[in-house]
Amino acid sequence: MKISKYGVFFLLAVIFMGICLISPAFAQEKVVKMALKASDIRSLDPHYGTTTIDYACIDPMFNGLVRFKPEDINPEKIEPDLAERWERSKDGLVWTFYLRKGVKFHKGYGEMTAEDVKFSLEKAANKATSGFAGDYAALDKVDVIDKYTVRITFKSAIPSVLGILTNYHGGYIVSKKAVLEKGDKFKFDPIGTGPFMLKEYIPKEKVVEVRHPEFFRGKPKLDRVELWFMPDASSREMAYRKGEIDIVEGEREQVWVKKMREIPGTAIEIFGPGETLVLHFNMTKKPMDDVRIRRAICHAINIDELMKFLGPDVTTRLVSVIPMDYLGGTDKVPKYEFNPEKAKKLLAEAGFPKGLELSMVITEMSDYRRPMEQIQEQLRRVGINLKMDVITHTAFHEQIRKDVNPLVLYVCARFPTADPLLTQFYYSKSIVGTPTAITNFSHYNKIDDLIEKARLEIDTKKQKELWAEAQSKILEEAAALPLCITKFVFARKVNVDLGYEMRSTLTLVIPIKEATDIRK
Amino acid sequence: MLKYTIRRMIYVLPTLWAVVTFVFFLIRIVPGGPAVAALGSYATAESIQQLEKQMGLDKPILVQYGKFLKDLCQGDLGKSLITNKPISQEIARSLPYTLDLAIGGMIIGILFGIPTGIITALRRNRPPDYIGRVLSLVGISMPEFYLGILLMYVLAIKLQLFPVLGGGDLSHLGSRLYHLFLPALTLGIIMTAFISRMVRSSMLNVLREDYVRTARSKGLHEKVVIYKHALRNALIPTVTVIGIYMSILMGGSVLTEIIFSRPGLGKMMVFAVKDRDYIALQSVIIIFSAFVFLFNLITDLLYSLIDPRIEYH
Repeated sequence: MKISKYGVFFLLAVIFMGICLISPAFAQEKVVKMALKASDIRSLDPHYGTTTIDYACIDPMFNGLVRFKPEDINPEKIEPDLAERWERSKDGLVWTFYLRKGVKFHKGYGEMTAEDVKFSLEKAANKATSGFAGDYAALDKVDVIDKYTVRITFKSAIPSVLGILTNYHGGYIVSKKAVLEKGDKFKFDPIGTGPFMLKEYIPKEKVVEVRHPEFFRGKPKLDRVELWFMPDASSREMAYRKGEIDIVEGEREQVWVKKMREIPGTAIEIFGPGETLVLHFNMTKKPMDDVRIRRAICHAINIDELMKFLGPDVTTRLVSVIPMDYLGGTDKVPKYEFNPEKAKKLLAEAGFPKGLELSMVITEMSDYRRPMEQIQEQLRRVGINLKMDVITHTAFHEQIRKDVNPLVLYVCARFPTADPLLTQFYYSKSIVGTPTAITNFSHYNKIDDLIEKARLEIDTKKQKELWAEAQSKILEEAAALPLCITKFVFARKVNVDLGYEMRSTLTLVIPIKEATDIRK
Repeated sequence: MLKYTIRRMIYVLPTLWAVVTFVFFLIRIVPGGPAVAALGSYATAESIQQLEKQMGLDKPILVQYGKFLKDLCQGDLGKSLITNKPISQEIARSLPYTLDLAIGGMIIGILFGIPTGIITALRRNRPPDYIGRVLSLVGISMPEFYLGILLMYVLAIKLQLFPVLGGGDLSHLGSRLYHLFLPALTLGIIMTAFISRMVRSSMLNVLREDYVRTARSKGLHEKVVIYKHALRNALIPTVTVIGIYMSILMGGSVLTEIIFSRPGLGKMMVFAVKDRDYIALQSVIIIFSAFVFLFNLITDLLYSLIDPRIEYH
């Protein structure tokens, strides 16, 4: 077949026009790529996701009965999510939730109903199917009243019922049908109701989520979200500078903030709740069993200097063991001002006029190691020679639970009410080495009654007073020394509109919501 | 040669058994367990114990070892203790990225290393030799991590020529090669340095041999002398070195994988160590050991191709 030269031109013109028509279609796809400091996820089943990268991937795919406002984690401002409204009994033990109608699960798994809520909460409360079963120990039963109504009954009052039903940990609602159908595969092929649904998970590389077109709050603005696992800080920075990444998790260091601020078109997000840095004294180990030694260490540590070292932009002072922005946080507690002379005097009184030697293990993770090295230097100035063995993070977690350390630096973020932190770190049942152990490294056991009373207290004002008293006792006995809070640091391109003003989030990374958008 | 190959394959079994046994017990001695890693800091002692039971870690270590060997003999590598996914699937997904990187790096190393080695040997103690030696010294001394970042900065960020993110789409050759270039170049530069030094010293030795002098005195063209008589003999030690470095590249490209966010086996191994995922770690090491054996075998077989005097029975 012979084609004339006009035919060739015509063919080329058609191809060119085709490219012109197709290209904008590709160009119009709205994608946000986020690089996170992680090697891989552990689970996308929200009831098993325990790491920050898990939270980051899970949050866009799931909802709770209620939710924190996207920009804020104030438990007093929790708002409806899958439930439209709710009622509670006078004693606070029975809660009835009225569900939204027409909420669709991803990928054709049908409408979310009361059966899914019952299934999800029972799954979250079961040790065999959830990593957060402990949070639901007070849950008695979940009754399906009708297709859109559930009644949740508790055996005893708990500090924040709404707290355990939010879009966090065990509060996420999963598709009953999908869990039963997929079994163990649900961990990496989850079905939720959130604005984005899983498209692809490439182990050790990324999770790709695409828009859930039937999302109940309306069509999400982004077509796709890519969450990249990039443990190396330099690689994350390079990918961001090159423009292949839109949002990047930073190092919680002043130097990083300063450097990234200089990149044109970059906004730095520094947000809470941050992670609390608290030094726990093992009160059963000599010489830490002597309150004078514990107080001497408290007076020897210059927290202002420590914060300056960690970065003034990324740290705030932690006055008590509960942060001020948590429900129950207070600043009316005994304080230990930096006073090296007083520290030396207390050491002498305790029988150590020439100082003392301590040894401990510390994790290689810089969030722990850097502040601890600074503390080591400060203690040296008053004659306390602290020897530190640096070990892997997993080994560190195992060793500190075996009581090897006289003092334990612990960095963490918890649900923003006083109860989880007080229960996990200062309740007798949480003492390490016991069958019910969690993270009570100090072996402190003198506020059990206050913790228990506060849990049952319905009057928020009285509840806060009980928590404040508990904190005062902890610090009076110097069972622990609150140091500071390190905030989370991210850089984002200014053309990424988060759709809310980032202040604090329990996902600990910038959450991608239905309102999040990217401008070309 | 077939008999020889089969015999070598049989011989490797005890070696593989020794390696996996060593790794099996060694990883379990290291403090920290997979249950602590999997459950995170929220875990109670009870839930850690329960998970250890689910993982089968509560059983005596010899029982665990027996089960491991039995499963291995049946070709079952087991399931990851952390993700509960079959390890064979994860390896099948990661292996192409690591193989691409190791082979890509080696190809670049051979393409540039052999000519550089020949040129520096032929121009001994002259400017090309000095330049080649200095460059190879730089290549050997430069940490892989630093070189990767440097190449990324120049070629990806400043010149915008290559991507820095991920390993590309495995089913799309163009994407695969596009994402492979920078990481392969990083390893390739280092390999070029090693290979060029090896070729140079081998060539210098061979060029002094009588048969080279004889070839020249016969009036053969210099190219024939160099490429047919000298290089062929100089390649034997070079092939040995290439075989060894190929094994090293397979297991040692972890830093490159991390810098360029490639989801390869090296990254899988590091994550397994971090999380004490015993099953994943054992499996990756079995795969690495198998490749070391394979490369050694290929190296030995290549000798007979390069030097017809070498025969295997």
